[in-house]
Amino acid sequence: MRQIALYGKGGIGKSTTSANLSAAFAENGLDVMQIGCDPKHDSTRMLMHGRWIPTVLEQMYERKDLEMDDVIFTGFGGVRCVEAGGPEPGIGCAGRGIIATFQLLEKMKALNGDVVVYDVLGDVVCGGFAMPMRDGYAQEVYLVTSGELMSLYAANNICKAIARLSERSTARCRLGGVICNSKNMDNERELVAEFSRLIGSKMVQFVPRDKAVQAAEVNQMTVIEHAPASPQADVYRGLAKTILANDDLRIPTALDLDELEKLARAYL
Amino acid sequence: MAGCTLTGALSVACFIPGAVAVVHAPEGCVHQTFSMLHAMMNDCDVSQIPEIIVSGIGDREVIFGGEDCLTAALDRAAALNPDLIFVVTSCVPETIGDDCGAVCSRHPYADKIIYVPTSGFLGGSAKDGENAVLTALASCVPLSQATPGTVALIGEKNLESEADQNYAEVERLLARLGLRVTVRFCRGCDAATLMHLGTAECFILRDDRCRPAADAIGERFGRPVVPEFPRGLSGCINFLNAVGHSCGIPEEKIAAAVQDELLYQDQMLEKFSGLTKKTICLGAEPFAGTSAVAREAMARLLMQENDSALPIKLPFYLPVGAAGVEKMLYLWRRAVNNG
Ligand code: SF4
Repeated sequence: MRQIALYGKGGIGKSTTSANLSAAFAENGLDVMQIGCDPKHDSTRMLMHGRWIPTVLEQMYERKDLEMDDVIFTGFGGVRCVEAGGPEPGIGCAGRGIIATFQLLEKMKALNGDVVVYDVLGDVVCGGFAMPMRDGYAQEVYLVTSGELMSLYAANNICKAIARLSERSTARCRLGGVICNSKNMDNERELVAEFSRLIGSKMVQFVPRDKAVQAAEVNQMTVIEHAPASPQADVYRGLAKTILANDDLRIPTALDLDELEKLARAYL
Repeated sequence: MAGCTLTGALSVACFIPGAVAVVHAPEGCVHQTFSMLHAMMNDCDVSQIPEIIVSGIGDREVIFGGEDCLTAALDRAAALNPDLIFVVTSCVPETIGDDCGAVCSRHPYADKIIYVPTSGFLGGSAKDGENAVLTALASCVPLSQATPGTVALIGEKNLESEADQNYAEVERLLARLGLRVTVRFCRGCDAATLMHLGTAECFILRDDRCRPAADAIGERFGRPVVPEFPRGLSGCINFLNAVGHSCGIPEEKIAAAVQDELLYQDQMLEKFSGLTKKTICLGAEPFAGTSAVAREAMARLLMQENDSALPIKLPFYLPVGAAGVEKMLYLWRRAVNNG
């Protein structure tokens, strides 16, 4: 079973990328599970045709003896969708929520199939959000970033987490590569490719900005489902293919802040 | 006392008659804390079972926030119609950021709630917990004019052995100056009595442990703080001078009190004349300052110290006043007489 985690700054498009990636894996006949690890619980919505599925945490605290069917819902292409859920912003501990979710899924022996895609909250803010990496769930991490400094900054931080956690006996996480989710900036492809090289990795896909994404979202679908013949759908299929073939997993070297800023300036 | 801030805070807050302590914590924290207090209660022959209500934060509250479960615990506490509700917190709600202050101030019982953000280990040690409760409680006491001839004691422990004997000794000395204790803050005082703290002319601190609270109290009411109960014999004289001056007692009256006390001490030492010129060896010092108190008593009895002489145990707690020294000398005499 491949366990793939997408990390990156909030709002960078991780959920869209994850959902389309899961859909593309499913198109290849793979048994796919996608787990949204964000309290916003909107990771799997497009796979579920706009349905907000009940979150694991909600269910866990409302009922005892949960069954798999209570927390795992089948979406487009048979992708099994899970949303961890979590507290409202500003209260409680969302990181602990992630841990509790994983403990429940583990107890249910629900983490199976060909590929599990973890769509993780914007940045590694605490041990709870590092949990998929930390406890050996996310063995392949893909960083989703654009060429904007703040999203590179978040990606760079996650490199630090991977480097640190890879030293632990229980963690087997490595960096699989960088996905550039374009914001249509000048030199963005080159900048992200260079960033990937500097951290000791590679850019595995450049995802251009395309209206097909918004059109699919408005129709509450993934691009793969809504516009299967579009070039954008092929981009996601290309990403899925690259990831499936990727066996080049590395421990990255994070840049220091000065290096990161220098890099961003060089591609202005 | 060991433990986190919760232990210290509860050791004060739990023993105020008419008050209820609400602990915003997982049940385990309170169980662990209360086991410790219970062991100490047995040691001090205290049989009062404190009223503690625990909010019982669990995994759900850690994830979604524990403010609702604090409100529910406050409701349960308020249903008992107590004079005061103390709210103390463990490290868990502080870690996840519950706004406990806001929950307390929104509650219908808010006027009688004293919120003490003790924060478990995040707040420091048990000593910090004791100080936090004393300081929070003092901040609710109204400011008032000092009543001449009165003092208040700060920081006597609820679970302290020999506390009442020590108190009697302090009262004896204060009587020489014509002073009386109105409030023992917080030992065994109900809420109404505690609210008279501000009427004392000066505050007498039990010992250094609660100094932060005593300093805050002294500052709030603008009154002097005498730093500790009398240590041994000369401690009584220092105590009379310090309290006398703090309360504005005339010099002649203080001098007369000191004279009377010296005479009293001589008479007390007279009972132990059998120890005069005896040679002993003092054991290890349990509390800093204990050997100094012991050596002073030895000097007054012309006793000698020699490493190879009869070993004598020093008292575990620092002897308070002449009474503490007297008790120590009884034990020495028994040891010397019995070999
Ligand atoms: S340190 Fe924290 S967890 Fe431990 S007993 Fe104190 S409040 Fe509870």
